Amino acid sequence: MRCVVQIVVLAACLLCAGCGPLDRGELSRGVETLSAVAAESQLVADGVAQDRTRATYTRVHARTLAEDAAHEAEKLADASVAPGIERQRDRAVAIAQRLDDTIGTMETHPGDERAGVQVHKELTGIADDLDQLGQRLVQGL
Amino acid sequence: MKVVLRIALGIIAAIGGFVDIGDVVFNTQAGAQFGYELLWAVPIGVVGITVYAEMSGRVAAVTRRPVFDVIRTRLGLPTGLVVLVASLFVNVLTLSAEIGGVALVLQLFFDAPFTLFALLGALGMVTIIWFTPFEGLERLFGYLGLALFVFVAAALHEHPDWHSVGGGFVPEAKSSTLYWYFVVGLIAAALMPYEVYFYSSGAVEERWTPNDLLVNRLNAVVGYGIGGLLSLGLMVAAAQMFAPAGVVPDHLGTVPLLAQIPYGEAGLVLALLGMLFAIGGAAVDASFAASYSIAQFAGWEWGKYRRPSGAPRFTLAWLVFFALGLGILMTGIDPLELTEYSVVLSVVALPLTYIPVLLIARDRTFMGEHANGPVARVLGWLYMVILVVVAVAAIPLLLATNAGGG
Repeated sequence: MRCVVQIVVLAACLLCAGCGPLDRGELSRGVETLSAVAAESQLVADGVAQDRTRATYTRVHARTLAEDAAHEAEKLADASVAPGIERQRDRAVAIAQRLDDTIGTMETHPGDERAGVQVHKELTGIADDLDQLGQRLVQGL
Repeated sequence: MKVVLRIALGIIAAIGGFVDIGDVVFNTQAGAQFGYELLWAVPIGVVGITVYAEMSGRVAAVTRRPVFDVIRTRLGLPTGLVVLVASLFVNVLTLSAEIGGVALVLQLFFDAPFTLFALLGALGMVTIIWFTPFEGLERLFGYLGLALFVFVAAALHEHPDWHSVGGGFVPEAKSSTLYWYFVVGLIAAALMPYEVYFYSSGAVEERWTPNDLLVNRLNAVVGYGIGGLLSLGLMVAAAQMFAPAGVVPDHLGTVPLLAQIPYGEAGLVLALLGMLFAIGGAAVDASFAASYSIAQFAGWEWGKYRRPSGAPRFTLAWLVFFALGLGILMTGIDPLELTEYSVVLSVVALPLTYIPVLLIARDRTFMGEHANGPVARVLGWLYMVILVVVAVAAIPLLLATNAGGG
């Protein structure tokens, strides 16, 4: 019986883990996720810019990546935040929305080389912003 | 040429078993997150599955008994039933994930709703299986799956640092749970039980006799060697192209970028075709493995070499498994999550699958002069220890790393 209680308590602890407000570490992980999406989207945009890919592949995969960015934006926006990192959270949400919109351009123009060049440029800027935000979170600023 | 054609069984078993939807993503993630550091786990898995596939093929050739028949005989009815239920559960999950993988690749080719392609993909595979003989299935999925070699070419094209690659084959003791989760996953994925169910039953389908033991050995070594090479290719390519860029490949659609970056559209198309046939082959493997298991356990007539009317319950079984796999997918579950769970859950069944094979392959009363020699005996027991360790570690690592999510 004691063993069963211990297992139930352990399971409850596992389920409750991460239920509290979003802390600095979790926000950092969210920013890392967005950076990974931006990095992958840059590779896709590069293929479009150089006309070295298929439009159908670009459209479908860009949709998936845009969904990832939108999902992360919603997750961060919906979370209650630990005191002191509200501004960073809002900044992360804003960047995630920009990322979603930028990737969406590839979904709309998957075969347009000029759009590919433009998207790649914008994604580089977004990646830099995410990098800066990530560093500030690590440094505790 | 005849010998080349006769190693198709090993190739489809390896392509389907090594480079299914889960492995394609898992190997790519390993390379993207850990660079070359996890390369050593691949040969451990390759040698393990080669040893046990060779044993199960030898048992099938000498005794005409496939793996599940052996399990029932050696473990008895109650334990055999537990293994059957567990393996059916895992096989159906795997089949569902593979149908999902086929649908995802078709979506990347043609852009239409996922559910439509899941339905069309499943119907297409059922039609192909129905009208194609066993050898034809092996060759269709096995050889066309070899288009995945584009990833090996891509890895070489990017001029890897061979010193670092070599260093990756030396195991390192690390404290990261995520690192060990990948080690366990890579070894387990190579040794998925459905591979030997399929391989040994395929040997019976092909009517192997003791005269075919060389073909068996070639199938095991060449087939699984190719599977391992493809896994290494994916990992090395990801280490070169994804790791420096900070890409974390969580989607099947990310993987073809590894071929597109060096070879453009041609590379992309080859990668997608290879993935389509390899994952399709894995679906065939998983559906047949489940049907072979239940038919051999229940003593039904079985085999693709028979007409559907000659083995009606076996035929009905693989049709039902396809329907079940499709049904699970229609609930909206992510195929990649499904395959990750099926790999880790199957780990628990690994020792129960492989111990009867080892026991019967060394038994001279069954195998006569073809019983295990000293090398097979030592490797067999060594891998049994590895399997037990992997089985014990799998679930805690799954929980500790949030299924690899960190």
